[in-house]
Amino acid sequence: MLWKKMIRDLKENKGAYLATIIIIVIGLMVFTSFSMVMDNLRLSQQSFYKNQNFADGFIEVQAMPPSEIEKLQDIQGINDVQGRLVKDVKVLFPNRDENVYLRLVSVDPAKKNPINGVQLKQGIPLSNKEMNILIDNKFFEANNLKLNEEIEIIADGKKRALRIIGVGRSPEFIYALRTSSDLYPSPESFGIAYIPFEVMKTLFPERETMNNIVFTLRPGADYDNVKERLKPELKPYGLKSIYPRKDQTSHLLLTQELKGLEATARVLPLLFLSIAGMILYIMLKRMVEQQRGQIGILKAFGYTHKEILSHYMSYALTIGILGGIIGGILGIALSFPFTTLYQTYFNMPGLTSKFSPLYLVLSILLSLGFSLFAGYQGCKGILILQPAEAMRPPAPPIGKKTWLEKITIFWNMLTVQGKMAVRNMSRNKSRSIFIFLGIMFTFSLLGLTWSMNDLSQRMLFDQYEKVETYDVKVSLSNPLNQKKVSRELNHFPGVTRVEAMAEIPVTLKNKWYKKDVVLLGIPEDSTLYNILDKNYNKVDPPKNGLLISERLAKLLGAEVGTKLNVESLMIKDPDKAKQLEVVGVIPQYLGLNAYMDINSLQEFLGQGELATSFMLRMDEESIALLQNEFRKSAAVSGIDDQTERLAQTKELMASFYGMIFILALIGIITGFAIIYNSSVITLSERSHELASMMVLGMTPAEVLSVITFEQWFIGIFAMLAGIPMSQILLIGMSQSISNDVYTMPTNITASSFLIAFFVTAASIWIAQRFAGKKIQKLSLVDVLKSRE
Amino acid sequence: MQPIITAKNLWKTYQMGEVTVVALKDIHLKLYEGELVVILGPSGSGKSTLLNIIGGMDKASNGELYYRDTPLHKADDKQLTFYRRNDVGFVFQFYNLMPNLTAYENVYLSAQISQSPLPVEEMLEKVGLSDRANHFPSQLSGGQQQRVALARALAKNPAILLCDEPTGALDFQASIQVLKLFKDFSETYRKTVAIITHNAAIAQIANRVFYLKDGMLDKVERNENPLPPERVTW
Ligand SMILES: Nc1ncnc2c1ncn2[C@@H]1O[C@H](COP(=O)(O)OP(=O)(O)OP(=O)(O)O)[C@@H](O)[C@H]1O
Ligand SMILES: [Mg+2]
Repeated sequence: MLWKKMIRDLKENKGAYLATIIIIVIGLMVFTSFSMVMDNLRLSQQSFYKNQNFADGFIEVQAMPPSEIEKLQDIQGINDVQGRLVKDVKVLFPNRDENVYLRLVSVDPAKKNPINGVQLKQGIPLSNKEMNILIDNKFFEANNLKLNEEIEIIADGKKRALRIIGVGRSPEFIYALRTSSDLYPSPESFGIAYIPFEVMKTLFPERETMNNIVFTLRPGADYDNVKERLKPELKPYGLKSIYPRKDQTSHLLLTQELKGLEATARVLPLLFLSIAGMILYIMLKRMVEQQRGQIGILKAFGYTHKEILSHYMSYALTIGILGGIIGGILGIALSFPFTTLYQTYFNMPGLTSKFSPLYLVLSILLSLGFSLFAGYQGCKGILILQPAEAMRPPAPPIGKKTWLEKITIFWNMLTVQGKMAVRNMSRNKSRSIFIFLGIMFTFSLLGLTWSMNDLSQRMLFDQYEKVETYDVKVSLSNPLNQKKVSRELNHFPGVTRVEAMAEIPVTLKNKWYKKDVVLLGIPEDSTLYNILDKNYNKVDPPKNGLLISERLAKLLGAEVGTKLNVESLMIKDPDKAKQLEVVGVIPQYLGLNAYMDINSLQEFLGQGELATSFMLRMDEESIALLQNEFRKSAAVSGIDDQTERLAQTKELMASFYGMIFILALIGIITGFAIIYNSSVITLSERSHELASMMVLGMTPAEVLSVITFEQWFIGIFAMLAGIPMSQILLIGMSQSISNDVYTMPTNITASSFLIAFFVTAASIWIAQRFAGKKIQKLSLVDVLKSRE
Repeated sequence: MQPIITAKNLWKTYQMGEVTVVALKDIHLKLYEGELVVILGPSGSGKSTLLNIIGGMDKASNGELYYRDTPLHKADDKQLTFYRRNDVGFVFQFYNLMPNLTAYENVYLSAQISQSPLPVEEMLEKVGLSDRANHFPSQLSGGQQQRVALARALAKNPAILLCDEPTGALDFQASIQVLKLFKDFSETYRKTVAIITHNAAIAQIANRVFYLKDGMLDKVERNENPLPPERVTW
């Protein structure tokens, strides 16, 4: 019989319970899908690393003979060492004028269990005899290549054809970026090719030397110790950099992604389940209070505490189970498209999703746990009720003056309905706090998402439209004399301005902090690369010191005036300690750099007037000509066309907008559910009062205004509180997102607050209209028949 | 004289699954300006139903009902709200005051929506609660609360005052006080007052007494010499 009562009660308040279930479902969807994707990624990462023997350390050198590299094997702590030649080459696809690059990575086909081994997906293994390559599967698919097809590349200024005999992938390029300033892999224009060293060396003038070394460590060996032992051995061969696995780009970004997923999978569901629990708690508590007469009678009949409690808990149970099942199943379903999405970015085997009973069970348990806990908290009042006491009406609500009434001006401005509302708020503090938190949550989530939207746009477009304003950037394979190249480029048809740039890898040190970055030397009067401060004012590259980015300043614990130790393999006398003073800190969202005037930098390095790349302003029509001209040049490593980059970026931003949209939707739904539920609860709790007002002849709209006044009043303050809240969220977000590739700005734009305000207000308004419908259905006669 | 309320062939039925409950059966009646009527009848005879329909809180299933010339049986929710707002005052057994408004504010709440309200202070004075204006309902006795409820109904300056067992929860003294106010209101302001009661003694103060039985108007008695409330005893 009680079962029937429950069904009727649930039906009566179906909107409110439905909203609760929806919130649970959203939370669990995030939990299941994110956890599953994370598990999938982690599992395939681990097995891929293990199976393909992923390196623990990476070394870049100028040139080192293989025989010398082999000797490194004997260094204590090193398990295995492998030398390679790694070079980026341009690909000539017929009928395509954009830049396509392949990174040639040499391998030794004879080696057993090689480091960073290539997992062959299709085709046959490499042989030393032929111009054959294995190509990475993303590039293969994106460019519609076929096995045994030949592709043309420019190596050392000469056109060469390489035959694709197989398709494969390596743990080194799970997330394949060409330069560290790229944000996403772009398999159409950048891929990896694995080629036998014996073949590759014939393509380049270096002949018998290698420029890249990978190594694995013995179990228990300490990376830093090994590094120190390696350094002196490598110095004679032009050591450029040496870094551990954790700094390897692909690994770093995959790890970051995993961390982000993990954080989301933990925090968001917790948040949503807490909100749902809160709603459930309030609803059940109210129901128990309202039905105390019924409870008293049941007790008087001889129902035990347990039986009555389990009746009320069955509401929580039903909701918990329903929410758990629906959320779990939808989450698992969602993990499939999610995994597919990750497949497009992360190139790993075994990255598939399958139905997971474990997560379904976990979802149900989580949902049940929260619902039952909240339900019990709401219902436990039953236990202390004595039957006789229960049948007596609860102590009447006591009218009281509030502190707000002391502010006479404010108080006199209010209508009587307003006064009622204000007193209600203080009468029902926990409810008011709940509404407050709910609106604050909605507002700050919306503020956060819109800010992220604004900021990511700024991050990218500022960089391309305000900072790097050149049309084309020509990068050199090796530093060359600035004047000579400038002169040559200046004579090229269509070129109206040429500016040199020096990109120098340096290690900056301050106290115990240290960071490897690229120091950019920029001409003093540059118009093609504008360093901007917070207010978008142009800052000249300093002659007497360094400008560093905010994030770099933080990482180095440095501020204006700090003297940084600068080490670089490009300094003439690398062993001599050199210092540069920080003369300014600027925001930088893409990349992590230090800046200096190019002439002063050249002086500092003491290697003459070297430049590593050139920025050009030129006619659009001549760009193709320039690319054709320099495509074959061995001296040029890349020609970047700014419009092409901008277009690519815009395309990639689309997926980001999807995420923003989902977050915003979550915010709106939550806000809606909270307002709707609290309206409905208030309605049923105060049905007597509200019906009395209608008897007096107030219209449903006037009656509703008592409730809405309360919510708007709380809402205004909640939204105000949401402003710092979204700032905090954004800072947290920025800290978890930012890395050496991009830094998320943390200044929220006024327009996002405006949008957050309007959207929050709209969802409050709509929720109130829905609740208002219930007022119209209120039967005056029935309500007033009984005593309050 | 034109009646304030005219009911013709009024029916109210409730459909409870297969059973039809007849709450009111073929009611004909007229209420006039300045008269005080009492409605008597056993429990379940339809008194509240009749009063609720007259007051625009409920609708008849059948028949005609007029407020002066306005056909209430044809009115929609909005028109009924307007009717309640300007022309009807209600007093219930359970006072139904807003718990978090003071006595003054409760009366004011009602007055502010009426087209021709009476001064709030005056109404509180009339019910003898001027000194309690700033008290909340929980700080007042039952009789005092009922008088606030009455002041609230009167402040709208309604043409008809409808009272459903207004003295049901009050002791003798408090009841007499409230009845005096009803009488006074009907006489000095020439308003119509209808009172439902289980207490037959109260019928002595009425100009007319309606007896309801099984949803039908059993008989109507005219009282040529109504007793002043202070002389009623029970
Ligand atoms: N919502 C309803 N559904 C079904 N029947 C109803 C409903 N409301 C009232 N009734 C029936 O209508 C009849 C008249 O009820 P009403 O409340 O008018 O009686 P009453 O004379 O006011 O009684 P009392 O003196 O006990 O208040 C009763 O038989 C009752 O059962
Ligand atoms: Mg009744």
